[in-house]
Amino acid sequence: MNRTTNRMEENMTTKKIFSLAVALLFALSLGACSQAKGPAEAAIKTAEDALNAGKADALKYIPDQVKAAEDALKAAKDAFAKGDYTAATTAATGVSTKVKDFVVATAAKKAELTKAWGEQSQMLPNMIAAIKSRVDVLSKSKKLPANLDKEKFESAKNGLAEIDKAWGEASTAFKEGGLADALAKAKSVKEKAVEIMTTLGMQVPEAAKG
Amino acid sequence: MADKPVQGKGDEAIDATQWHEVKKGETLSKIAKQYYGDPSLYTTIFEANRDQLKDPNLIKIGQKLRIP
Repeated sequence: MNRTTNRMEENMTTKKIFSLAVALLFALSLGACSQAKGPAEAAIKTAEDALNAGKADALKYIPDQVKAAEDALKAAKDAFAKGDYTAATTAATGVSTKVKDFVVATAAKKAELTKAWGEQSQMLPNMIAAIKSRVDVLSKSKKLPANLDKEKFESAKNGLAEIDKAWGEASTAFKEGGLADALAKAKSVKEKAVEIMTTLGMQVPEAAKG
Repeated sequence: MADKPVQGKGDEAIDATQWHEVKKGETLSKIAKQYYGDPSLYTTIFEANRDQLKDPNLIKIGQKLRIP
């Protein structure tokens, strides 16, 4: 009888210990989770702030790299929402690296385009001025030179008005920070200016060829 | 067709100034006819080159003239 009572008490004690152990493990895992949640949240916030700070400028020059960083941030947020804080922290750290990379790439691209713009902004006004000068003189001429008929001359005059306007637009785009847009406009101005100069029998500057 | 103008001085790669190198037998009128089709426009070339021309009838072989 006593033996049976002792065994029952032993079983009860074992169950209690087991229950306590389970409760302790659960509490520990909750603690671990809440310990990982804070750093994950902070990593996501840091990554998001960095992304927002650098993306406006970068979008103009390297939109693909910005999108990759945005996708990585979304992945970090998704992992956080699922409670996978370790994955969220890892993904958020990756976003920060991507942001650092695109900030460097943006600066490099900007420098490259600014240099290209500097060359165009020196050359194109020269070309436009030379064409204007030639058109002014030819407008006073009683007879056009060989290889230039009235139709070609009229076309050149119209083309001059077009590139003059387009160059103004390119300059405005540059002043407003649209470097890539300014260069695209400058490229079409250059191509048209070369065409007009050729029509008028003028020499095209070396830098405008090709 | 007109002779190909010669490139001028300075930063040649971006310089759009039009130049002509005077050859034997040329006059400002002939050059004006070549580029403008009208010899009477020689005065335009003369005025553009007043820094090196004193007389429109006196140009030298090898001289580089601006062609407006």
